[in-house]
Amino acid sequence: MNDAMKAANKRIVDVIVNIVMLAFSIFCIFPFIWMFYSSFKTEAEFAQNIIALPKSLQFSNYAKAIQTGKLGFYSINSLFNCIITVTVVVVIAFIAAYFLSRFSFKGRNLIYGLFMLGMLIPVHSLMIPIFMQFKALNFLDTRLTLLPVYISFGLPMAIFLMESFIGGIPVDLEEAATIDGSSMLRSMFSVIMPLCKPVIATVVILTFMGTWNEFPFALILVKTDALKTIPVGLRNFQGAYTARYAQFMAGMIVALIPVIIVYALFYKKIIVGMTAGSVKG
Amino acid sequence: MAKKLKSPKPLTFVLFLGPILALFLFMVVLPIFVSAYYSFFDWTGGKTMNFTGLANYMELAKDREFWMSAWNNIQIIVLCTIGQVGLGLVVSFLLISRGLKFKEFHRTVIFFPVVVSAIVIGFVWSLMYNKDFGLVNWFLTLVGGEKLILPWLDNPSYIILTVSLPIVLQFVGLYMIMFMGAIKSIPDEIFECSGLDGCNELQKSFYITLPMIYDTFKVAIMICVSGTMKVFDHILVLTNGGPGKSSQVLALYAYNISFDRMRLSYGSTIAIGILVLSLLITLSSRAALGGKRYE
Repeated sequence: MNDAMKAANKRIVDVIVNIVMLAFSIFCIFPFIWMFYSSFKTEAEFAQNIIALPKSLQFSNYAKAIQTGKLGFYSINSLFNCIITVTVVVVIAFIAAYFLSRFSFKGRNLIYGLFMLGMLIPVHSLMIPIFMQFKALNFLDTRLTLLPVYISFGLPMAIFLMESFIGGIPVDLEEAATIDGSSMLRSMFSVIMPLCKPVIATVVILTFMGTWNEFPFALILVKTDALKTIPVGLRNFQGAYTARYAQFMAGMIVALIPVIIVYALFYKKIIVGMTAGSVKG
Repeated sequence: MAKKLKSPKPLTFVLFLGPILALFLFMVVLPIFVSAYYSFFDWTGGKTMNFTGLANYMELAKDREFWMSAWNNIQIIVLCTIGQVGLGLVVSFLLISRGLKFKEFHRTVIFFPVVVSAIVIGFVWSLMYNKDFGLVNWFLTLVGGEKLILPWLDNPSYIILTVSLPIVLQFVGLYMIMFMGAIKSIPDEIFECSGLDGCNELQKSFYITLPMIYDTFKVAIMICVSGTMKVFDHILVLTNGGPGKSSQVLALYAYNISFDRMRLSYGSTIAIGILVLSLLITLSSRAALGGKRYE
């Protein structure tokens, strides 16, 4: 084989690789794009031609999804859960990670192992007993019901990420701070915590996404309509508006918007966090 | 072990770690014991609760629906592992090949579904598979494959395949990123040397890259197996276990028993069953792949 043929072969391979990858990428993303532009069609327009672009933009689909489908306040409920969960997870995971990373004490490995066990247990096997525990405590169906669930399930990964990050910060920093008269609390929160910004950002994003998207526990622990979160709300939506496809798609876009924004802004962080978290399995 | 700080008083530990640990124990560890406790009773949520010993477990052992769901779980795990890890591997190889354009675009787009909620993925695909308004049938018509049009979500003989496809596509991106990270960490010199020795791209992939990322490959399979064991949301939305019970999985079965049929104690027994089976499957996949645990 001479060099010219080799080069020609290589070019053909490159073309094929490009075509295959392009086809695959489009296959992955097109359903979302299709859903996005279809959500602006009238129902009749959609039924007539499912692939065509909308002739005019029907924002009324969104208005209806938010009002009739109540996605407006489902979103607010989800946002409420997200904000509290993220805040609490960051603070308590930081405290736990700090202690686990900075001090050697009896039971340290046991406690760390226990938190890591949380990543191994299939959460769905906890669904029923948690329901029963909450029932016994009369804690079902309140505004705060989902918070302890989301906080505890967010902890293992947050602690794992933060513990290994804090481990990379030299202890000398706090030793110097202590000599200067800083208390443990101050070293912890005003010396180390600011240095942890990158890992805190990762934890914030992953916890936000996890909470926003969570479905099974929101389904079984909360029954009052006014307290439901957006994934559960979407499911009701499907049942109630079976034939209104465009409106339903608008509803899904509403649920997707925060995720898309966070993804667009923090793409790199999400990737780092998800792969680091998953390596531990 | 790195240098540690001087430990504070024991009371400080209790004050700081205590509440966090208590919350975690209550939400993640206690439920396992609660499940185990209720599994010895007959209880439907009312006042009376009878101790029935191992009766629930005897029922579970003979419960065809339970074992069928478990079998569905296993089939989905196999399909998803092959699909997600396999495609992830192929895509990551293609993505690092020199001739590929728009790499950033491919990466962003393929990873995107990972962050989308399973519920939305399920809905999107219930639309995709829709008989009259679905993209799948639209595409088949477009390329002249009308004969291939099928009732995608209504035939038990291939329902496991059709519900697995969306799950596969959702998570290919995760494995793609894992493998790309692993490939990037291989020193360039190795590739350069092999190039000088006359290796072509394909040979490099098979004889250098694959063996070098074998550890990541094992981790990917383990994550995939334990992750897919949890499948619930997708299937609830796509088929709700149907047609019949043909796509029912364990988590869905436990949910139906406990909250549709209100058999909370038997539901607890199933939860214990799920826990044991998951650990068995995860650990045996770990053992089958052998080697050290990845840290």
